[in-house]
Amino acid sequence: MKDTSSFDVLILGGGIAGMTAAIYLARANVKAVILEKAICGGLCNYTYVVENFPSYPSIHGMDLMQKVRDHVDHLGVAVEEICEIQRFDICGTEKTIETEEAIYTGAAVIVATGRKPIPLSLPECEQVHYCSICDGFAYSGKRVLVVGGGNSGFDEGLYLLRIGVAHITLIEVADRFFAAQSAQDEFLIHKNVEGLKNSRIVDLTLEHNRLKEAFLENVTTGQRETVAVDGIFAFLGQKPSTNFLQGIVDLDEDGYVLAREDMSTNVPGVFSAGDLNRKRYRQLTTAMSDGTIAALACERHIGTKRVHL
Amino acid sequence: MFTTVQDNDFASTVDSAERGVVIFTKKLCPHCKNMLKMLEKFQRIVPGIPVFTVDSEDCPESMTLASVERVPTVCVVKGGKILAQKTGLMNPREMEAFYESA
Repeated sequence: MKDTSSFDVLILGGGIAGMTAAIYLARANVKAVILEKAICGGLCNYTYVVENFPSYPSIHGMDLMQKVRDHVDHLGVAVEEICEIQRFDICGTEKTIETEEAIYTGAAVIVATGRKPIPLSLPECEQVHYCSICDGFAYSGKRVLVVGGGNSGFDEGLYLLRIGVAHITLIEVADRFFAAQSAQDEFLIHKNVEGLKNSRIVDLTLEHNRLKEAFLENVTTGQRETVAVDGIFAFLGQKPSTNFLQGIVDLDEDGYVLAREDMSTNVPGVFSAGDLNRKRYRQLTTAMSDGTIAALACERHIGTKRVHL
Repeated sequence: MFTTVQDNDFASTVDSAERGVVIFTKKLCPHCKNMLKMLEKFQRIVPGIPVFTVDSEDCPESMTLASVERVPTVCVVKGGKILAQKTGLMNPREMEAFYESA
């Protein structure tokens, strides 16, 4: 028999949007719980250096998220991490979320489940990675392919250079790199890097289950080339973590939540904040803004229906 | 409650452990933090299993001894020997199955 815990607001996702909402709700004496599938911090945990967050000229993403988490803890917000959702009923007046360990009920839900990295469509290979901080050090002195010419690709490429990777080929399928020009300049100035536009990876050669080569294709000419690499780090962007909302909350064709200006959705009492919403810009600061608005709108929505006043 | 192990006591810790789990981690590694939190839950599901943590950057000899190249890597110890190891993420139930099958 699982324990049932009653809250005013159930926050799904402990990234910056969810934690910001939790801070605002706690300060309004609204009883909230964060239910996080992994650990709090979201995608920012995977960012080596954050240099556009007001108040910190330069800070590791995980350090920054720990500071936000400390703030959440300081306010006494309940947080459940490594939390697998088994049942999900958010359509009625009372919202219910059941995890492997407990049942949570509340008058409102803030969905802040963010996005997750898009995997490479390639044969199974142990040398394909999505986190250079986690897996990069095994490639010191070796050759690496970085897939993706956005901010993540260049930032992670710079990290790999710092830890001693011998050579990096960075590819981008579009005809230009999308990373900040400063990151491009800092990366491409190195003699042991190569940046290729209009290029995609189409296949791999494995020898005794170890990666030997990557086959690249120029998408404009169709020309193919083979690159000797020991590992691949893929940063192809993200897709919204909203599969569980399909058929319940209005989503666009790409799976992003169609939230209103106040972060409410088509389901009364269900709000959505952060990168999972359809919008143009996705930054830490914009996610914080969403979390703030969602919390304020949520507080207004629940009004006198609070568990404790 | 986890016990931190260094290069100088890694081999003796494994040798003397009738059962346990060793996890190799790294500072500022999000998957490692995830796995440490997961192991807290694993200990609630399977009580009495000691967990030993090894910092991969501080303990290169332990990494070599255990043939670990990447983090987070979890090793199952039974009878003073590493019987199985797995790199990457697991949930508590998967960890329980991995531990029991080793």
